[in-house]
Amino acid sequence: MQKLVLGLLLVLAPLLHAQAPPNQEVVLTASAGSKLGVALSQPRIAGVPEATVAKDYQEVLNRDLEEAGPFAVIRKDLPAATDPASYPAWAATGTEWLLTSAISRSDRGDLEVMIQVVDVVAAQAKNAKAVVSKLYTSKDGSRDGALRRIAHKISDDLMARLTGEQGVASTRIVFVREGGRGIKDIWQVDRDGANARPLTAFKSLTISPAVAADGRLAYVTYKGGAPEIWGQRVPGGPQVKLFPPSGKAEGHCFCPSWSPDGKRLALVQGDRRGNTDIVVLEMESGRVRRLTDSNCINTDPSWNPAGNQLAFTSDREGGPQVFLMGDDGSNVRRLTQEGTYNGSPAWSPMGSMIAYVSRFEGKFDLFVYKLGEGKSYQITTGLASSESPAWSPDEHRIVFTSGSRGGMQLYTTDLSGNTLRKLIDLDGCQSPKWTRSH
Amino acid sequence: MRFVRNLIPLAVILTLGVGVACKKPAPAPAEPAQPAAMAPAPAPTDANAQQRADQEAARAKAEAEAEAARKAAAAAEMARANKFKSDAEAALKDINFEFDKSDIREVDKPKLQAIADFLKGNVQAKIQIAGNCDERGTVEYNLALGERRAHAAQNYLTGLGVTEARLSSISYGKEKPKVQSHDEESWLINRNCQFTLQ
Repeated sequence: MQKLVLGLLLVLAPLLHAQAPPNQEVVLTASAGSKLGVALSQPRIAGVPEATVAKDYQEVLNRDLEEAGPFAVIRKDLPAATDPASYPAWAATGTEWLLTSAISRSDRGDLEVMIQVVDVVAAQAKNAKAVVSKLYTSKDGSRDGALRRIAHKISDDLMARLTGEQGVASTRIVFVREGGRGIKDIWQVDRDGANARPLTAFKSLTISPAVAADGRLAYVTYKGGAPEIWGQRVPGGPQVKLFPPSGKAEGHCFCPSWSPDGKRLALVQGDRRGNTDIVVLEMESGRVRRLTDSNCINTDPSWNPAGNQLAFTSDREGGPQVFLMGDDGSNVRRLTQEGTYNGSPAWSPMGSMIAYVSRFEGKFDLFVYKLGEGKSYQITTGLASSESPAWSPDEHRIVFTSGSRGGMQLYTTDLSGNTLRKLIDLDGCQSPKWTRSH
Repeated sequence: MRFVRNLIPLAVILTLGVGVACKKPAPAPAEPAQPAAMAPAPAPTDANAQQRADQEAARAKAEAEAEAARKAAAAAEMARANKFKSDAEAALKDINFEFDKSDIREVDKPKLQAIADFLKGNVQAKIQIAGNCDERGTVEYNLALGERRAHAAQNYLTGLGVTEARLSSISYGKEKPKVQSHDEESWLINRNCQFTLQ
């Protein structure tokens, strides 16, 4: 860790290209009930409009930190000064970490944000430490949202510094949005509800998005009449048909799901009898392996993080229930035991939990099955129907759709169900997927 | 006096004008009628005129007859098309399902018989069967359930003797509800198979 050289820091900011060393010690383990007070001082600005900084930096970073979980953002009665003599005044507001920023545009037009985080409580005890000292540069600094992205990155870095776990401020959610009768497209929105925009525009029915770890999309589209799997073969590449191969008469295809390494795509294929089976497509060879072959519905494949098991929904024992199986279709066992209609399984990113929905009295609620305990926990209880759960990359939250009939919106919740948040005020949303990729 | 004095220059101008006209070819715009009148247009003989008139009359008659035939054919075609359309409309009625079920209900079997009869009476007709679900299931499970409903109808029709090649199926799950309301009656309407001409 760097020694704190206060006063000089802001002056020298452009010279300090200090990067936080890897594997930094974690300074505090957040525990329930005790949050770490963090405050932003007024940034020093050069060459960037003040209003832009207020909106795209201060507002964004404060909200990211607040929503990260273990931080309490101090906003009231903040001192103007940031020199060591002011630390007692900062500490009196409840601030523990004081974040100072210098925002400027370099000669080349790059956006530069130099931050210093000082533990103002420790500093008073003559134990001054710079908790974080880091320069953030955006080469595309002229582009809209560059400052927002830096603010998200800072929040994620502070989260990592505090808890040892990367935050999710820089993540985004890919989902389906209705654009008219029979018209749906794939959209995306940043985790904080900003930058909502369509990723497809086929003027057709386009649903069921999946996002690979490297950002490649896969989805179902009816734009050619029958449902086919479309998406990207390379990150950032053109959107092309992934399955079935042209000229081959195959059953209808639904519900793609990338394996964690992105090399395989599980999908659902209908047969001539109206049954649906889960198959796995190897992207490189184009080889297809059928995992289920029974006289029933099998759908909703969701991989475990190791990529050697899948959760899925099947009505093989009557109504829809969640089952598990190996990635070769072996060792099928039923997961959900209670309720007459369970579905939409989503295996958690670290592998120990499976979120799903259960229907009771005509509406769905979210549940989480903890594999270690062999028990289910109910997450939502409300008047609205809550559907299509998907995990945040850090496993702390679940994004889902909820709302009155026909007006489904995107929400996120923690596992206690206590901090329910509307992601964005947008009607007609479904099937969200949460990803770190950009 | 004054009149006579004024006449003299006019006469001079006229004289000069005629003199000029005789010396040079008159410019066309000055005498537009002259060249046409003088052009030796070959006067048609009576025989030629008669022949042309006959030809014209024959052609007009043929055209009128062809037009009448075309109109009659079009009318017949339209009548056939209208009958086909009204027969199709009468036959291609939705069938409905119980919640989470794909069994053909007894009440819907006569409707499927009518569809089979229509297809037998119109051998060129092909139909698509679209399976749909109400909004109360999950997106993905409903796509599979719609698939199963479409195939249930398809299998029933092939059982009535319709060849499989004339039937195609598709599932829209709960993605294209027929009605947007949210009550038991609407849900039943939305749990359906819809039949459309291809």
